[in-house]
Amino acid sequence: MTLKPAHREAIPEMPNRLGIEGIEFIEYATSRPQALGQVLENMGFKPVARHRSREVTLYRQGGMNLVVNASPDDARVSGSHDGQPVISAVAFRVRDALKAHSRCLELGAWTVQSHAQAMELHIPAIHGPGSSRFYFVDRWQEFSIYDIDFKPIPTVDQHPAAIAYMNYFGVVQYIGAGRSADWLAYYEHMFDFSFVPDDQRFGILPKGKLMKSPCGQFLWQLIEPDPWMDADESPECLQRIGLGATDVGAAVKALKERGVEFVESTQLHPEDRGALTRSALGSVSFELVHQDNAKA
Amino acid sequence: MNLLNGFGMDTITMAGTLEAKLAAMKQAGFSQVMLMARDLVTHPGGVPAAVKAVRDSGLRPTGFQVLRDFEGLSDHLHDYKVDIAKSMLQMCAATGSKVLLACSSTSRHASDDLDHIARDLKKLAMLAVPFGINIAYEALSWGRTVNEFPTSWDVVCRADCPNLGIGLDSFHIFAANTPLDAIEDLDPNKIFLVQLSDFMWHETPTFEERMTTARTFRVFPGEGVHSEALADLVLRLEHIGYRGDYSFEVFNDDYQQLPLETVAERARKSAMWLHEDVLHRAMPLPDWTTTHLR
Repeated sequence: MTLKPAHREAIPEMPNRLGIEGIEFIEYATSRPQALGQVLENMGFKPVARHRSREVTLYRQGGMNLVVNASPDDARVSGSHDGQPVISAVAFRVRDALKAHSRCLELGAWTVQSHAQAMELHIPAIHGPGSSRFYFVDRWQEFSIYDIDFKPIPTVDQHPAAIAYMNYFGVVQYIGAGRSADWLAYYEHMFDFSFVPDDQRFGILPKGKLMKSPCGQFLWQLIEPDPWMDADESPECLQRIGLGATDVGAAVKALKERGVEFVESTQLHPEDRGALTRSALGSVSFELVHQDNAKA
Repeated sequence: MNLLNGFGMDTITMAGTLEAKLAAMKQAGFSQVMLMARDLVTHPGGVPAAVKAVRDSGLRPTGFQVLRDFEGLSDHLHDYKVDIAKSMLQMCAATGSKVLLACSSTSRHASDDLDHIARDLKKLAMLAVPFGINIAYEALSWGRTVNEFPTSWDVVCRADCPNLGIGLDSFHIFAANTPLDAIEDLDPNKIFLVQLSDFMWHETPTFEERMTTARTFRVFPGEGVHSEALADLVLRLEHIGYRGDYSFEVFNDDYQQLPLETVAERARKSAMWLHEDVLHRAMPLPDWTTTHLR
């Protein structure tokens, strides 16, 4: 006989073999960093630091780090998208970056060669969809990776508060026709993302397939072209960032006051569940999603 | 609609330059082509020029071949093959091919553990995901561990990966005398390629005989001694719901020294035999029935 409680219910444990613990940063590549910077500042991001050797700027609000990469080699990828800014990387916080990277290579990921200069941090990465990359960062608790590669912009608050407590909610990825099964299998195998049933949706843009990170901190949405979009053979890409907010109305109001415009049509308009900003610079839009327990 | 839609030739069947092969296929009425890596790398203009020739031809790539002896290896041999596979995937993607053919290993250095084989093929499939490429795993009739399609299907099921399926090759099925009843067990959506050819012998009991015949003396469907069995195979595939491509994988030393048009004409006759006499496919609707929809 034992007093230890037995497993009375078959509750599956979510494996998290990379030890993913949220998103460390998201990177845009662009040849127009000032124009993109303006869009980001309207959204509440503040430029807080500049890269020591390359044309890269770190923006921040609350817990969200957003990197604008205008380094010529990296900005070139935006050239294949008519010069529009593209989401070029997502960095995951993991338990051990080297182990995470090695495990992904073992499972069939394509490694990205590092271009770190002397004394710069080598952040291991693998190729993602289209021209994007996934980075693995493990030094996010003891000290900041940005302290090494970036110089703070003088007199600027390094930790600006987020508008309406917004935080990273997820990423929307556009995929090719009939490619949902491939990408679902890829993310499940590579990152231990799990499938979210079709009847569970968040925000106001529920299309496609949804996955959840093993840490439960962000979502990943995969959207195929509609069947009637025969001619849509645009390359696969990370399309937009989702921002979580406990009070979408308050966030919309604050952002409108800063000049951000929202999509307002009969089908799609700001409401309590979510909102979508009008696309800026041809490709940059943000989706606001209602979240019960947004982190401050 | 083209009567030959769904059927295609392999570049390996003909001699000559890539451009000449593509032109002969097109002239015979084919709209697709199975490409061989060698066609690209031996092109005088290099891979980019070969890719351009394929794209300019307007022929749709049925697939790209062939990755050999990939699975079941360990350590440095495995790492080496992964590198080879990556280069093949990059070439495959450059041509716009959606299928990479991987043949079962003949290497005695490879493991015979089906789970190990499945794990390696899953890795190959993951490498292919960003390119949108499907991997068709084919049982060579002289493969060391996997030499019949029920085993390649077993491995594909173990790997359980959406972009990993099987490739079937009638030559290997007939050479190994594999009973066709096992076709019933296949999921038609996981058959990523069917290659058809026949040959002139009734028996090929040894691996050596199979290899020699496979590499020098295959003929087009309808030209060999297994026409009945080949028709049976194709009808069984249709019956389970296979609607993918059929490509003619015909290695033949004689065809290598005939004018390309002559060889392509034989392929066209073979496709017509399959279309009309075997599959009894419907004639296309006349143009006027569809023009008003445009």
